[in-house]
Amino acid sequence: MKMLDTIKRSVLWRSIFRREYKDTPRNRALAIFGNIFMHLHPVKIRDSAVKLRYTWGMGGISLFSFIILTVTGFLLMFYYHPSVEKAFWDMKDLEFQVPYGIFLRNLHRWGAHFMVIVVWLHMFRVFMTGSYKSPRQFNWTIGVILLVLTMLLSFTGYLLPWDQLGLWAIVVGTNMAAGTPLLGFEGPFSEYLGITPYNDVRFAILGGSTVGGNALLRSYVWHCVVIPLVAVVLMAVHFWRVRKDGGISGPHSS
Amino acid sequence: MKDRSSYTPFLFAFLSLLLLALTVWVIWKDEIQLRPWKEYQQEYKELKASKLQSEYDEAVTLFQSSGDAQKLEALKARLEEADRIFQSKEVQEKYKGLAAQKDIVEASLDQNQKQLQEKRGKFLQVEYLYIRDQREQDKKTMQALQKEIGGLTENRDALLEQKSSIGEKIGDLTKEREALLVEIESLHKGLDEKLAAIESNEHMSEGIKQVHISDADKADRCITCHIGIESTYRLTDSQPLTPHPARFVYLENHPVSDFGCTFCHRGQGRATTSPDKAHGWVHHWTEPMLEGRMTQASCISCHEDTEYLRGAEFLAEGSGLIKKYGCYGCHMIPGYEGLREIGPVLAEVGSKVNYSWAVNWLQDPKNYYEAARMPKFYFSKGEAESIADYLFSMTGTTRHDTLYTDEEIDWDLVEKGKAIWGQSRCNICHVTNGQGGAHAAVHAPDLSKVGSKVSKEWLFKWIKDPKKYFPETKMPRYRFSDEEISALVEYIIGEYQDFDFEPDYEETVPIKAESIEKGKMLVEKYGCFGCHKLKGMEDMQNIAPQLLRAGATVAGGESSEKIGAELSSIGSKPLELLDFGKMKGKIPHSRESYVQQKLRAPRSYRDDLRMPDFRFTEEELKPLSAVLLGFTDASRPLRFIVPGHTRLDQQENEFGSHPLAGVFSQLAEDVKCLNCHKIKGHGYDFAPDLTIAGSKLQESWIREFLDQPDVIRPMLKQMPRFNLGKQLGMIQGNLKPLEIETVVNYFRTELVSGDIPATLPELEEAPEADPVELGRQLYDEKGCVACHQIGSEGGTVGPNITNVGGRLTAGFIFKYLEDPRKFSSDNVDPDYGFSERERVYLTRYLMSLKKGTNNAEISETRSEQ
Repeated sequence: MKMLDTIKRSVLWRSIFRREYKDTPRNRALAIFGNIFMHLHPVKIRDSAVKLRYTWGMGGISLFSFIILTVTGFLLMFYYHPSVEKAFWDMKDLEFQVPYGIFLRNLHRWGAHFMVIVVWLHMFRVFMTGSYKSPRQFNWTIGVILLVLTMLLSFTGYLLPWDQLGLWAIVVGTNMAAGTPLLGFEGPFSEYLGITPYNDVRFAILGGSTVGGNALLRSYVWHCVVIPLVAVVLMAVHFWRVRKDGGISGPHSS
Repeated sequence: MKDRSSYTPFLFAFLSLLLLALTVWVIWKDEIQLRPWKEYQQEYKELKASKLQSEYDEAVTLFQSSGDAQKLEALKARLEEADRIFQSKEVQEKYKGLAAQKDIVEASLDQNQKQLQEKRGKFLQVEYLYIRDQREQDKKTMQALQKEIGGLTENRDALLEQKSSIGEKIGDLTKEREALLVEIESLHKGLDEKLAAIESNEHMSEGIKQVHISDADKADRCITCHIGIESTYRLTDSQPLTPHPARFVYLENHPVSDFGCTFCHRGQGRATTSPDKAHGWVHHWTEPMLEGRMTQASCISCHEDTEYLRGAEFLAEGSGLIKKYGCYGCHMIPGYEGLREIGPVLAEVGSKVNYSWAVNWLQDPKNYYEAARMPKFYFSKGEAESIADYLFSMTGTTRHDTLYTDEEIDWDLVEKGKAIWGQSRCNICHVTNGQGGAHAAVHAPDLSKVGSKVSKEWLFKWIKDPKKYFPETKMPRYRFSDEEISALVEYIIGEYQDFDFEPDYEETVPIKAESIEKGKMLVEKYGCFGCHKLKGMEDMQNIAPQLLRAGATVAGGESSEKIGAELSSIGSKPLELLDFGKMKGKIPHSRESYVQQKLRAPRSYRDDLRMPDFRFTEEELKPLSAVLLGFTDASRPLRFIVPGHTRLDQQENEFGSHPLAGVFSQLAEDVKCLNCHKIKGHGYDFAPDLTIAGSKLQESWIREFLDQPDVIRPMLKQMPRFNLGKQLGMIQGNLKPLEIETVVNYFRTELVSGDIPATLPELEEAPEADPVELGRQLYDEKGCVACHQIGSEGGTVGPNITNVGGRLTAGFIFKYLEDPRKFSSDNVDPDYGFSERERVYLTRYLMSLKKGTNNAEISETRSEQ
């Protein structure tokens, strides 16, 4: 008993557990203050916020699918080489040889489709309930950026199987980028900036003028590193902002 | 609040159950449903186990019945006895005493070894110091150390001797036991091995098995299900456990571990989850598996020559058909570049044939004779007439037919012509009334109705010098006199008339200009120049091979590329690029069925297609399509490539495109030696290969034979007589004396082999009897007579050797007897494994067999039927 007390009084213990277990208002407040996740989450939730009919739970489901995609994506990275020679055959090996590989890949693929739909529905709900209005304008903007990031994740992930479907989707997609005004070589006014197929925005996306090994590698880096990191940071801001703006919006309080 | 209490628990319970069910489903799917190979491997294991068990049981029965079992019992009893003696008190005491002694000696040896090492080290140290400082003191120390080392070495030797003597004594005690143990083990070894095989089969690991070809990044997992594919056991006949068919050809030369499966069979080698997926019989997999004979298509990917490739017979059939029908005339086909057009030159066809015949032929060549190679273009009568008009306009201005049926016949001349026809062996190549044509590979026309087709004037000119009319013809030039040719023409025209022939233009009719124009357009559109040389259109073929480009097609006559689609990668052309047109849904949507349908009915996909109808039979379609499917642009490791003859020849820079040289080559070209004979891989297989004829045949025999071809083969395989005497009926010789000299010289200098000795080797010991007599005895002993004939005695499987001593050289016979298959893989002579001595005797005997000199009666069967 005495030893336990000694441990609990030690600097190491107190640097990790910064409050007592005793249920006092102070300890409860400290629990919230000292925990990043609790900090992002509102302290109090209104009755209406948990009503499925009002919120549809779309924000939570979006987060949930993001977590599933992160976990499955992480596992897929163990079996995948972002190179022209190997990418497609790695897909095939996931299907035929890796235990539960096909399940893993399908979960990631369908989860990705699901997330895009859910994020759209989330936006739709927020719009229909007028939750974008003051004081939530800032968070709406963050949400819009998150929607764009979700779709970029979807787009960059499309190329990774290195099959015909993905290849041509990226060809079409990046050709659209080539039509960007000023920055795409096929876009209006680009000639005044001296834009050619070799220095335009499409070139930046593909790392070349056609879809090849560089495009695959770039897709991979954007898909697995950059966009998820940015999305995580923005999601943190998004959740924190919900709390700061007075919790999830509810039906007009009477 | 109210409703939450009512349904939430049920919803939660339902979702939990659903999740549980899904989890179970996922596990079931991945562990069982997506692993069909588990069942196969299990089945294979069981089959193998029962096979091994029955083999073991058999071996056990044999062990019992052969008396080995009793032997084993006896040995065991002796072992027990030996054990008893060994375990007895006195022996044990002795043994233990010896063992203790041995331990002591070994310990002293160790001690001695350490001391030696130490002293030697010290010695080296002092030696170094002495060399450096030259001090007397060090030298003394060195000497002392040397002495000590000497003592220790002696000591060691003594100890070693002691040790070995103790070892021997111990050995005396255990020797018998050990010998018995060895004997028992060797007796039991066979059974033990069989048991071990059963054991190892039981522990065979289950799982996905694969062959990884690292340089092609291929992972073939076919052997996961086809687990017994390389086995020599045939455990079952049903797939997937049965072994590979004809493994001695395919797998022996292409071990699965080096080649995998999909290089040859295609399909989806990585798939393991269902047979359909693995075999590539799924949507979006562009390389479905090739089965059975069609698999030979893949031989082309690596073997540049498939003509004589063992196991690629189906393919050889297909390439034969491509050459026969001249597909390369219109299509760019890899490996068939630069071959001659298969059709005759049409420059003077207007003076050669009857107009009505030409129109009839153009509408459907098979109307004239069934074996015609020219395809049907579905020309209407009007179109056929236009084309005929165009062709006839090159040499004249009228449509005309000439008939000889009403002419008086000069019977003497016809009789002479008939004799020439026979002696010249025209029937070797040409069919007449269903007779002859044994040498089908040269595709000589059927002459049964030629009398109603060609004019006498043309036929005369043709026989006199075929090359003048058609430079690339295969017809040899016979050295006939004009008189002889006239007789032959008279005979051919008179004998081979078509009595159903209905001439429409016995009265000549002038050709209209617009018809010529229309005919020319048709000729250009349908690319007649692909097979026939046509005036003004020579470039259209000559330039073609240089303009290699995918999908080259021609509109009108302006382009000079090949008219048909390029076929160099037809076997890997994406399915979506094949235009199924009208046949969509009516035939299977696969590359194989597309190609076969194209060959079966070339114009069935769309109405405006130009490819003519070759009327291939189903038996012809399949090998043809196998060749076509073999033309792929798939990559394969360079180490797989087997270069062809032509390339090897070029590399060695031995012979150019033509195997012959000098005056001889002109002569050979004139009488078409290579039409029948093969020399250095060129030519046909109809008559004997002459590549080493200079070493094989005696000079005098060559001379005699060329002068007057002997009857050594059946009628339609006899060498024709190219030159008849100035007076009819007087045979003066085949080739002119100077020509014979040329041939003999060429044979002696060029067609020789270094392997064949000029003379027989000298035997070290003199034979005990007359070698010829000894050879004759051997000939009788080995039963040569079963296949070979001497005089009229013996079998007819092998060649008649009545005159072998007058024909072949001794060196050749000697070498041939060593290994008959060395000269041709088709030889059926068994390899008797003769010793050199035996071969010398046999050769001596065979060399003594000469026409007229041996006892056997010689029947001269020279016939001129």
